[in-house]
Amino acid sequence: MNKADKTFIAIVAVLSVLLYGSLQYVVRATTSNQKIAVVSYRDKEVLRIDMSRDDKYVVQGTLGEVFIEVEDNRIRVEKETSPLHICSIQGWIEYANVPITCLPNHIVIVIINAVNENGEDTTVK
Amino acid sequence: MNRRKRVRRMMILTMLLAMSIVFHMLEPSLPLPIPGVKLGLANILGLIALYMFGWREMLSINFGRVLIASLLRGIIFGTGFWLSLSGVALSSLTVIILKKFTPLSAVGLSVASATFHNIGQILAIIVIWSSIMMVYWLPVMIWMSIPTGILTGTLAVAVLKRISKGGSP
Repeated sequence: MNKADKTFIAIVAVLSVLLYGSLQYVVRATTSNQKIAVVSYRDKEVLRIDMSRDDKYVVQGTLGEVFIEVEDNRIRVEKETSPLHICSIQGWIEYANVPITCLPNHIVIVIINAVNENGEDTTVK
Repeated sequence: MNRRKRVRRMMILTMLLAMSIVFHMLEPSLPLPIPGVKLGLANILGLIALYMFGWREMLSINFGRVLIASLLRGIIFGTGFWLSLSGVALSSLTVIILKKFTPLSAVGLSVASATFHNIGQILAIIVIWSSIMMVYWLPVMIWMSIPTGILTGTLAVAVLKRISKGGSP
């Protein structure tokens, strides 16, 4: 490894840390107390979940059922059928705009704030 | 280039491609502590092709690997295929440019390749899912590309040293 390699690696490391810090700041700053989780299958919304209610849900993914759990204003994929189980290993998320992506099942879960741009409450179906 | 050299070159490239396909297909089953992180062992073969022959050969190894491995796994034109293709396209382009214009060694190029492979994949996910939110995973993936890139680059250097001792082209 030469000097240019070390410099390049240092730049990559610093940029990734800065990007991580910026994104963490943005997601924390933009998350309100009232949250809704939007579950999409192949880009189409299939379920809206009120995050203030602890409950369990099941949606159909490409490889099978995806079991979703809400607890203490957090959400996670409890279990699913996929080769690596990445989205269930990911665990709980609590901030807006942080996605849980179950790629083999084509399921994406994202938390959004329950108040829309006009200041009106979003209706939970 | 005489016929003997052409055949030798073709055979080496074929072996590199075959090995890269094997690595590409076996890698997801390697147990790693962080889910979703791959070592990128197949990139070693692309780097070897780059240093032994040139950028055209590296491109043929990298794109050939993605195409054939996707065909063999039955995921051609599926989401996984487009992720691999975009990752390979961006990382290969970056490596070609950096090799031409910077003094980076194979290790540095390998880190760059891993980094831009991840960026390419995230860009593809953003397009496929129509969601910019996937950028959230980019810093973690870039961070992980440093150790994996150093590992694969070091392995590529070790292999290239052994090949040069053996008197290959």
